[in-house]
Amino acid sequence: MNSLSTYLILAAMLFCLGLLGVLQRRNLIGMLIAIELMLGGASINFMAFNRFLAPEPAVGQIITLFVMGIAAAEAAIGLSIILALFRQMRSINVERAQRLSG
Amino acid sequence: MASMELASFPILSTILLSTIVALLVIMLIPEDRPKLVKQVSLGFAALGVVLSLLVYVSYDVDKGGLQFVERFLWVQSIGIYWFTAVDGINAPMLILTAVVLFTGVLTMWELETRVKEFFALMYLLVAGVYGVFMSMDLFWIFVWYDVSLFPMYPLIAIWGGTRKEYGAMKLTLYLLAGSALILPGILYVWAVGGGHTFDLFELQRMGLPAHVQRIAFIMLYLGFGILAGVWPFHTWSPVGHVAAPTAVSMIHAGVLMKLGAYGILRVGMTLCPEGLGYWADLMALLATIGIVYGAFVGLAQTDLKYVIGYSSVSHMGIVGLGLATMTVDGINGAVFQMFSHGVMTALFFSAVGYIYDRTHTKMIPELGGLSNTMPVASAFFIIAAFCGVGVPCMSSFWAELLVFISAVKTYPVRGVLAVISLVVSALFMLRVVQKTFYGPRNERWEHIPDVPLALATPRIILVGILVFFGLFPRLILDVIQSAVVPFVSSL
Amino acid sequence: MMWLFKDPVLAAACTGTWLPFLAMLVILIFTRRNQRLSAGISIASIVTSLICAIYLFTKLFHAGVPVQYEVAWAMTPDLYVPFGYLLDPHSLLMLLIVATIACLVQIYSVGYMAGDPGFSRYYAFQSLFAWAMLTMVIAPGMLQLYIFWELVGLASYLLIGYYYEKYSASQAGKKAFVVTRLGDIGFFLGLIFLMLGYGDLGILNINQAAAGHQIPGPLVTISALLIFCGVIGKSAQFPLLTWLPDAMEGPTPVSALLHSATMVAAGVYMMSRIFPFFAASPDAMAVALAIGTVTMLLASTMAMATYDLKQVWAYSTVSQLGFMVMGLGAGGYFAGVFHLTTHAGFKALLFLCSGMFIHEFHTNDMRVIGQSGGRNLKVPMISMTIGALALSGLFPFSGFFSKEAIMGVLAQHTNKVWLFAGLLGALMTAYYSFRLIFFVALPRKLATVPAEDHGHGHGADHGDEHHGNAYWAMAWPVMFLASVTCVLGFFQAPLEQFLTGGHAAAAAHGAGQEGAGHGMGHYVLLAGAIGCALAGLAWAWVEFGRKRAPQEGFLKKFPLAEILFARRWYLDDFYRKALDTLVYGGLTSLFTRNDRRVIDGAIDGICKLTVGTGRMTSFMQSGMLQYNLLVMVAGIGLVLLFFFI
Repeated sequence: MNSLSTYLILAAMLFCLGLLGVLQRRNLIGMLIAIELMLGGASINFMAFNRFLAPEPAVGQIITLFVMGIAAAEAAIGLSIILALFRQMRSINVERAQRLSG
Repeated sequence: MASMELASFPILSTILLSTIVALLVIMLIPEDRPKLVKQVSLGFAALGVVLSLLVYVSYDVDKGGLQFVERFLWVQSIGIYWFTAVDGINAPMLILTAVVLFTGVLTMWELETRVKEFFALMYLLVAGVYGVFMSMDLFWIFVWYDVSLFPMYPLIAIWGGTRKEYGAMKLTLYLLAGSALILPGILYVWAVGGGHTFDLFELQRMGLPAHVQRIAFIMLYLGFGILAGVWPFHTWSPVGHVAAPTAVSMIHAGVLMKLGAYGILRVGMTLCPEGLGYWADLMALLATIGIVYGAFVGLAQTDLKYVIGYSSVSHMGIVGLGLATMTVDGINGAVFQMFSHGVMTALFFSAVGYIYDRTHTKMIPELGGLSNTMPVASAFFIIAAFCGVGVPCMSSFWAELLVFISAVKTYPVRGVLAVISLVVSALFMLRVVQKTFYGPRNERWEHIPDVPLALATPRIILVGILVFFGLFPRLILDVIQSAVVPFVSSL
Repeated sequence: MMWLFKDPVLAAACTGTWLPFLAMLVILIFTRRNQRLSAGISIASIVTSLICAIYLFTKLFHAGVPVQYEVAWAMTPDLYVPFGYLLDPHSLLMLLIVATIACLVQIYSVGYMAGDPGFSRYYAFQSLFAWAMLTMVIAPGMLQLYIFWELVGLASYLLIGYYYEKYSASQAGKKAFVVTRLGDIGFFLGLIFLMLGYGDLGILNINQAAAGHQIPGPLVTISALLIFCGVIGKSAQFPLLTWLPDAMEGPTPVSALLHSATMVAAGVYMMSRIFPFFAASPDAMAVALAIGTVTMLLASTMAMATYDLKQVWAYSTVSQLGFMVMGLGAGGYFAGVFHLTTHAGFKALLFLCSGMFIHEFHTNDMRVIGQSGGRNLKVPMISMTIGALALSGLFPFSGFFSKEAIMGVLAQHTNKVWLFAGLLGALMTAYYSFRLIFFVALPRKLATVPAEDHGHGHGADHGDEHHGNAYWAMAWPVMFLASVTCVLGFFQAPLEQFLTGGHAAAAAHGAGQEGAGHGMGHYVLLAGAIGCALAGLAWAWVEFGRKRAPQEGFLKKFPLAEILFARRWYLDDFYRKALDTLVYGGLTSLFTRNDRRVIDGAIDGICKLTVGTGRMTSFMQSGMLQYNLLVMVAGIGLVLLFFFI
């Protein structure tokens, strides 16, 4: 059970679930959550590689910390964009936000 | 002793830095204190004038060459240097920039909309211009060049006049097309030179192969030439001038167009002397067409600013013709013309700016008889027109004299054609003067006051410079020459 | 500044030329609002210039060798433009003439321009004019001469268009500038060719080199012809003579200045200045002779058909300038210069007299002036008659001597056509001058026709005594000039010795030709010339002067000729037409259309194409966020497939 591939499979599953969520959900907050899932998957990958292939320097852990930081920032910006959008559209459905269509 | 201390002091970087500091300071001033913004702008502009005059005066003409050199390695792997210096060619250009900025700020003293943003953008523009003029490193020349281009769009599109969106868009697209030619040209030269230095003079010493020079030169010539208003890439310039607010027109026609000619000289001709030899014929042809063509088209214009725009095309043609002769006098004349045309167009636009601010029109048929109601304001335009006609004892006369002599020597037919076009340029300038300023008292403009002293000051300074260097041409010619003579002998 | 005191000659030259410039600056910048002070400054400066000129003239009268000062004005390895002073007999004489006339005109203007709102501006421009002309006269090099020559053109543009509110005045100013510019282009090109071919433009040097055949002949001919274009423009020779008659739109004192000693004289002066250079090219001399003759005859015919006081004198100026050019072209250096000198005096006199009439009666029409009692203004009436006598070349007035000198030169020419043309010109000159004099002095229907244009209350019965200061400010210069005109001719011999003594080449030339004139042929010629002038006078008397004269010229019987003369031989119409079709209608509209349609059209077309392409591809943009993501993911998938399979 305690092998690299287990973690990789878990991470891949998380990532794919997240991707599916981003592509499929029409709710912007749902999409944001799905993005967090994808980031989580990526973080697990880093940790796993660090643990099994390059145990000595804690690079993977540091990167994961960075990812968490970025995720927080991204959530903050994302949420504020969503809020702004909501003020304009009275909705957080992506289908309503199609102003960029050509 | 004083000059020794001065030499070790990084005065050029200080000039550049002062504009950026000015930009930041202006950004920090609260929105509701426009007066303070103007005062700060004026203060920093005056500082620029003082510093660049200091550089000009303490430049050692007898020694010649590059002075006030600051050269540090910045990025080793690809060879970018922070390399600023002054020689006889860019010393007058620095003064020109400083003076035009100073007078431009004074000219816009009555601006009311978005004052802070306007002056901040102006300083960004001027930072770019200073940067190009003082940098001797290709990378920085390009970076500063683009820095100077991009504020033009908001400056015209927000504060502009006639057809401002169209003008701003056209100008930006043209100039970006130019820089899209310059960048590959520079990179090409850099790559052929081994890819480890952007230093202009190291690349010059390397001596590029002839076929490389030909390709690189035409790219650099066309790229910078667009900015210099080379025919047939000139149509952005009248449209842009017309659309831009007064001070932007002044900086734009007065300094920015010189940037193009300066780029051709500093980058193109320095790096690719053989390429220049190959393309000089074309350069001379395009320049001559520009001189003649600009004068004729100017005859048909009904908008004051269009008239000036086309006169710029004609006068910048003289610069191009001078450069194309590849002789000492030709290039002397070209640089001199850059300087005096810069001052002259600044005066032109500044004079028109006052008239437009007060009458809200710059259509020649609607104006007329302005000399009656505002004699001083009219006098500024008329003096600029005399300078444009090439009246002696105004600085542009000397420039034209030098260029025409060497043009007739090198390209007899084109030179003679260019000389003959002086008649047309006299006709079109005097026609504008007559229709706008002479004629019976126009009741519509009866109530308009003449220029107050505060607003007349910048124009008086510009007139003073034109006449001063017209009476004492050696004060500038000797400086220019100290760089041009070795330059031509290295061609 | 110490050098100024060490060398009084240089100090005088500097002061004399630069003071008017300073006066102009001071007036324009500081004293624009104070009219009296402005006039005072300007007049003080020109009087000082005059004193300096007199000092230089007397000091260097016996100097023999030319005195030359130079500093480098602009200097490059290939070009040296000196600024300096060349004081030789010719320039000293001209300096004196210019300073005198400018001084008199400025004093006269105090009266004439009194009360004009632009009084200060007027004096500033006068000072500019004086500065430009004085410096031009003593220029040591052709480039300096050209530079100040252009400034003279600028100053006359400003002064001709002085009444800028009047369309005709601003039009005339523009015309003067552009037409003379046309000639100056030739001048400029001639200088460039000469400089490229020979390398030096010092007046003494090129004169010597050309006379010594050190400059190749073709180069001399080409550059002399091109430089002569400048003379054609400036001195209003055929075919560029049309600007001068229009130039009288300026104030009358300006016309006096312009027509006598400055603007138009500059052309002839320049030609005589480099006379040995011209003389080295027989072809150029022949062209000059021909053009001078044509100009003289054409302008004389024009003068017979106009009723405008100033216009008659304007045409007579053109014709007399043609006469001078003839004299120079025929090889008479002294004759040309002497006529220039005397002409400066009597033409200024004529214009200043006309100015007094115009100032009094507010009209230019000689018939109206006559009928309103012009002859009661005794000073101008008598002076103008003296001037007209001099202009016609009658003894003992100055014009007689100088005309005689030119006739003498023409008589030496192998081709006698020129001499007969000259005599014909003398006949016509006398005719139109006295036509004018009789119109003014002996009007018909004196009491019956009241003048319509008659401005303020001065009636026909006013004599000289009733006029104020303004009148006398005008009268003094007139009287001075009239007395000069009476006596100047008798100084012919010392002047000739002064002028040609220093000029070895010219002396040989001039003495050979003029010396031979003395003898039997000389008296025949003298009789012929005086006879022609008297015939012209008599003719005018028959038609206009005697009691019961019809006061209708013979031209009335040839209406076609009258129209032709009055329309200036259709030269103006020709230029207008050429300008309209060739410049405005032709190249200008062609280039403008090219700019709009072709260049801008192409650029806008490219932009439209880009925008259009964008429109088409933008259909793929639904604006739906998740489609974009889907495409992205699919793209990544494809890339992965590409790399791993």
